[in-house]
Amino acid sequence: MKSLNRTKFLLACTLAAASALAGAWSALAQGAKTVRIAVAMPLTGDMGTEGQGVRRAVEMAVAEANQSKAFPYTLEVKALDDRADPREAVNVANLITSDPGVAVVIGHYNSGCSIPAAKIYARAGIPMITPASTNPDVTGQQLNPKWTGKKSVFRVVPTDDVQGEYAAQYVYSKLGYRKMSVVHDKTAYGQGLAEQFKKNFEKLGGKVNSFDGISIGDKDFKALLTRIKSTGPEGIYFGGVYTEAGLLMKQGRELGITVPFVSGDGAKTPTLFDVAGAAAEGSYLTITGIPVEYLATAKDFIANYKKRYSGPGNELKPFDHFGYEATRIALEALKKSGPDRAKLINALHQTKYDGLLGTTTFDAKGDTLNKIITMTKASFKDRSFPPVK
Amino acid sequence: MFLQQLVNGLTLGSIYSLIALGYTLVYGILVMINFAHSEVLMVGSFVALAVFRFAPAILPQGPVGLIVALVLSMAGAGVLNVVIERFAYRPLRHAQKLAPLISSIGVSIVLQNAVFLWVSTQSESFPELIAATQFSIGGAGVSSLQLVCMASAIGLMMGLHFFIEHTKVGKAMRACSDDLETAGLMGIDSSRIIALTFLVGGALGGAAGVLYGLNYGSIKYNLGFLPGVKAFTAAVLGGIGNIRGAVLGGFILGIMEVMAAGYIPRGSDWKDVIAFSVLIFVLLLRPSGILGEKIAEKV
Repeated sequence: MKSLNRTKFLLACTLAAASALAGAWSALAQGAKTVRIAVAMPLTGDMGTEGQGVRRAVEMAVAEANQSKAFPYTLEVKALDDRADPREAVNVANLITSDPGVAVVIGHYNSGCSIPAAKIYARAGIPMITPASTNPDVTGQQLNPKWTGKKSVFRVVPTDDVQGEYAAQYVYSKLGYRKMSVVHDKTAYGQGLAEQFKKNFEKLGGKVNSFDGISIGDKDFKALLTRIKSTGPEGIYFGGVYTEAGLLMKQGRELGITVPFVSGDGAKTPTLFDVAGAAAEGSYLTITGIPVEYLATAKDFIANYKKRYSGPGNELKPFDHFGYEATRIALEALKKSGPDRAKLINALHQTKYDGLLGTTTFDAKGDTLNKIITMTKASFKDRSFPPVK
Repeated sequence: MFLQQLVNGLTLGSIYSLIALGYTLVYGILVMINFAHSEVLMVGSFVALAVFRFAPAILPQGPVGLIVALVLSMAGAGVLNVVIERFAYRPLRHAQKLAPLISSIGVSIVLQNAVFLWVSTQSESFPELIAATQFSIGGAGVSSLQLVCMASAIGLMMGLHFFIEHTKVGKAMRACSDDLETAGLMGIDSSRIIALTFLVGGALGGAAGVLYGLNYGSIKYNLGFLPGVKAFTAAVLGGIGNIRGAVLGGFILGIMEVMAAGYIPRGSDWKDVIAFSVLIFVLLLRPSGILGEKIAEKV
């Protein structure tokens, strides 16, 4: 029995070694001809629809680049699913760094995923551009003296301190509210945004009646909302994503809370109306940039996207144009530097790209200097978010 | 505000109780924890969704639709639970105690992934079987959904009580719960009674799944996990194996969570910590739970 086990073990070892060799060989063989762009996004789960949208946008940008024949090699998209889960994001990052053919990563979606994954990419020297994560720490962690590797993290969306400040100013000056209750979902994104809102709202002279965290996965927030109602706020600010935002709106209206909800870009997706129903009507949501349908520079992008992707489930999602822009920026740098990762990182720092978001340049941390925030107001009737002044 | 929080707590508690009964019934007879119960609950809610998608005509909005959805989901979840018992637990009945427990965790993972891979990877909105309208009772806002939830849960629990205490089969179940082997010697087909227990427990889980979907508006492949853990806790708190204990534990846990989130500043961050600290404290004082007395003989 023992010897049998040993034979099996040896056999397994030989097989493993052989397959590793085969893998290395195929990577070598392809290395000269293909360069891979990794897309790390939630492709399943509640954030799956948003992540799939970004994946489609990246694939479109890469297909266009291949068609233009501007590169002496073929570009290939490698999409991996982080399930919006920080642990899964680390696994995905390890998978990506073990592939020598990957030149750049477009990802991740959630800040909670981007923060730990960025460390792994930096260690491997792979540049990463996030099209959606807005927590300042995603790039800010690179200033930590313990940061190993180059400053290799970039983002094309403005951060939560910009978004939180904008929301606080809007609520205080435009809406004229002085008392707000704040709720967040205890994630890097949600809590970060809520804290920025609180800080800026209090600085302006407003009062924060209550500041509470809720757990993702919980469905019943009526106890918290009942307490919030008793403190009499003029509005409720929520830092988090649409699943919890929608439940809060729905349950808040059921409890007779009539004041508006204010939230950020994570809640601004048409799926919000599936969760909240009519209760989402009149909610204020900040978004990064200008809504894509109002961007004059994005007309071609939208037309091409709709031509390429049609049918249910393939609609344009809120971060697709950021994913497209991030890929275009990466390809532009790739054109100049070639697929060498270290050279590519340097080229990305030199970026000055005129695209559908306007002109993108990065500061020393890798944050975009193009910091536009727009306030939108949810309209249940046509499931849209028209901008408001 | 207190009345409002009480209503919130009772709704949550009624769902916890209904799920806790599924854990406690199985434990009462087999002295095993059916970790797959949270997935039975999830499948129950998906049965109602499937019926609504493929045959919306038989689920009209209103009480009739609700009852049809409840009956179908209860049947689906009950049968699923019997199948699980037949193939994953019965062959292990005489194996060491850990074996069926691990088997139940395996079933739970398989079911969750089956729904994830074959049905849906994200939240699906649940049909509005009952129009959501608001009432005001003594200043507390109560929605029709909350009332339906509480009424159905309490109705089912009363039905279960009658079934166990006042029918012949119920008597056989109690006998098996007292001593499985002796009950067998007295001429009770204990395998059938065990299957029946799984049917009843699964049916209650299926009903809880429908009420959950109805109350929160959307369902997902992993929805069972959190309420499952909470309900299991409630069953232990009340005294696992004890039916009244499960109901009591469910309501205590629901109300405690709501009061912690509702009255303590930042309480919603801490509500689970508070609820579970109370659980530990109760177990330290009464290791067999609030109403659990028979547990010492069983282990």
